[in-house]
Amino acid sequence: MPTFDSIGIAATGATTYRKWLDAVSDNISNMNDAVSTSSAAFQQRFVIAQPAADGNGVQVGGIVLGDPNGRVVYEPNNPLADKDGNVRYPDIDLSDQMGQLIMAQRGYQANLSVVDRARDAYQAALQLGRNA
Amino acid sequence: MTITPIGPISPVTGPSAITAASGASSATGGTDFAGALAKGLDNVQQLQNKSDDLAVQAATGSLTDVHDYMIASTEASLATQLTVAVTNKAVAAFNDIMRMQA
Repeated sequence: MPTFDSIGIAATGATTYRKWLDAVSDNISNMNDAVSTSSAAFQQRFVIAQPAADGNGVQVGGIVLGDPNGRVVYEPNNPLADKDGNVRYPDIDLSDQMGQLIMAQRGYQANLSVVDRARDAYQAALQLGRNA
Repeated sequence: MTITPIGPISPVTGPSAITAASGASSATGGTDFAGALAKGLDNVQQLQNKSDDLAVQAATGSLTDVHDYMIASTEASLATQLTVAVTNKAVAAFNDIMRMQA
């Protein structure tokens, strides 16, 4: 968008932070998925942010998955437990996810603030010479 | 004492000089106002179409990014305001020239 560059760039940022929010919510919702030790645990989602291919803004380059081993917990009463009484949980730290949640939310809001300010600036430019 | 004769009056340059100037500017590849305005209107139309598509997606529930629609509608609104401002300025300039009498 050649006329309104900063608005388009901020839009790419908002989209990226939205995907980060999605990844965090995916991680939090699957935080307590217990599986048997013979299968892989839910892998934490990491969003890879990188400069956009066309040089305007940011884009998500992909999702990197965390440790499939997770953490092995002794829960002999769990029906999924193996003969030693262990089950596998995803290696996701809730406090870490909450921190990421705040960062993603603030980043999203910051990009929308850029859109707002850019719109104000463009509208001020349109007032130039209005009464000349 | 000799009186030096007055030289002949040089011919008045007609409006051909003006047309030559405008011809020269178009020959250098500068876009004329009508072309720029048409390009601007095309741009506005594109932005409005994009905004309309996203509005339909928002209404049908298939919109993935809420901010995409808001930003597209903001861009469309700004582009329309810009076109209106340019058009108003052009009309004002035309009227100013038309008032240049006596």
